[in-house]
Amino acid sequence: MKTRAVQIPSGVLSPRGEPLGRPLWLGALFVLGAALLLAATAAPSFGRESPTPQNPPGSMILDAKCVIGFDNIKPGAKGTLTSLPTGLEFTAGKKKADITTPSIQDIFTGRESRQDVGGVSGTLVETAIPYGGGRFFSLFSHKVDVLTVEYADSTGGFHGAIFVLSAGKAEALKNQLIAQGAKVSTHVNVPEPGEGKP
Amino acid sequence: MKSLGRISIPAILSFALGGAALLMAQPARSGKPEPAPEQTQKLTASAIQLERIVPPADLLIPEDTRISVYENVILQLIKTKKFQHVYRSGDRTAADAPDLVILHLIPEAFKPGSQKEREVITIAGATSIKVKVQLTSREGKALLEKDVEGKVRFYGENLRATYDLAKKVAGVVNRSF
Repeated sequence: MKTRAVQIPSGVLSPRGEPLGRPLWLGALFVLGAALLLAATAAPSFGRESPTPQNPPGSMILDAKCVIGFDNIKPGAKGTLTSLPTGLEFTAGKKKADITTPSIQDIFTGRESRQDVGGVSGTLVETAIPYGGGRFFSLFSHKVDVLTVEYADSTGGFHGAIFVLSAGKAEALKNQLIAQGAKVSTHVNVPEPGEGKP
Repeated sequence: MKSLGRISIPAILSFALGGAALLMAQPARSGKPEPAPEQTQKLTASAIQLERIVPPADLLIPEDTRISVYENVILQLIKTKKFQHVYRSGDRTAADAPDLVILHLIPEAFKPGSQKEREVITIAGATSIKVKVQLTSREGKALLEKDVEGKVRFYGENLRATYDLAKKVAGVVNRSF
């Protein structure tokens, strides 16, 4: 059996004489594995949308996010938004905040897109993938509802609370609050960011 | 060698003079008005009240953006620790505050942008919001006016532009008091 010697340029050899390609491949494999893991976790949420916006009175929305709006709750906290006969209640861990129906001045609903792979860890992995490959994951997003409630505190101070809910839940919640007697003005619908572009 | 030195000295001098003349002429060529001189006298107040943000009729701003600006500015004003009280719009207890200043944020421009575009294309999809920051006395006398712009360029949700704006508004207030 004839064997042919392959000449490796000295530039790609380590001081021990081993090819340097292996650590690079290992690194690439690690990043690819991390990317696949992220894609697998994100996959079930692709195109997630509830077909019927129905919230029975007293219902709980478990995966709600309070973007901002309460003094005692950290902005961006995730928790449970409960529709009560007296108004809304948001619970994040042991902390609770509520908005009574008579204090509500206006309610707005909207729909936005959220990236499936996001947050600090997601962004780090995206940037770690070589040749800008991480941008691929930015293509996957899902729709969410945004519920904005304007209300006044006991001294008349104006407040606003923003909640992000899974798609199709905000409108039903708004209708419930209106049925309880919450004030709502007529609104001009602003197009969703990034939509309606040629 | 001597002749070369004689030639090079006037050449270097003329080059330097030309450069200096160009630098001096630059502000006049750009045609932009010079920035207003920095406010030297600091304002004093023990309390501030943030008025509701009402965009002009011809400017469409999503309600969540408007509310997010308002709430973020309140949080950032508290963080400055320049005031004993930060009052919200409509707060009846603000009437008792002896030296109250009122902060108005008047939206001037809004570009919605897109998080997806930002993260895929990088150079596109920036969300930006520009407001006029106006500080007045209780009687309505203007104390300060400045334009501030909040942006989110690369990573982050669209509402992050409101956080950026709030930080800049608080920075303006911080420098003025």
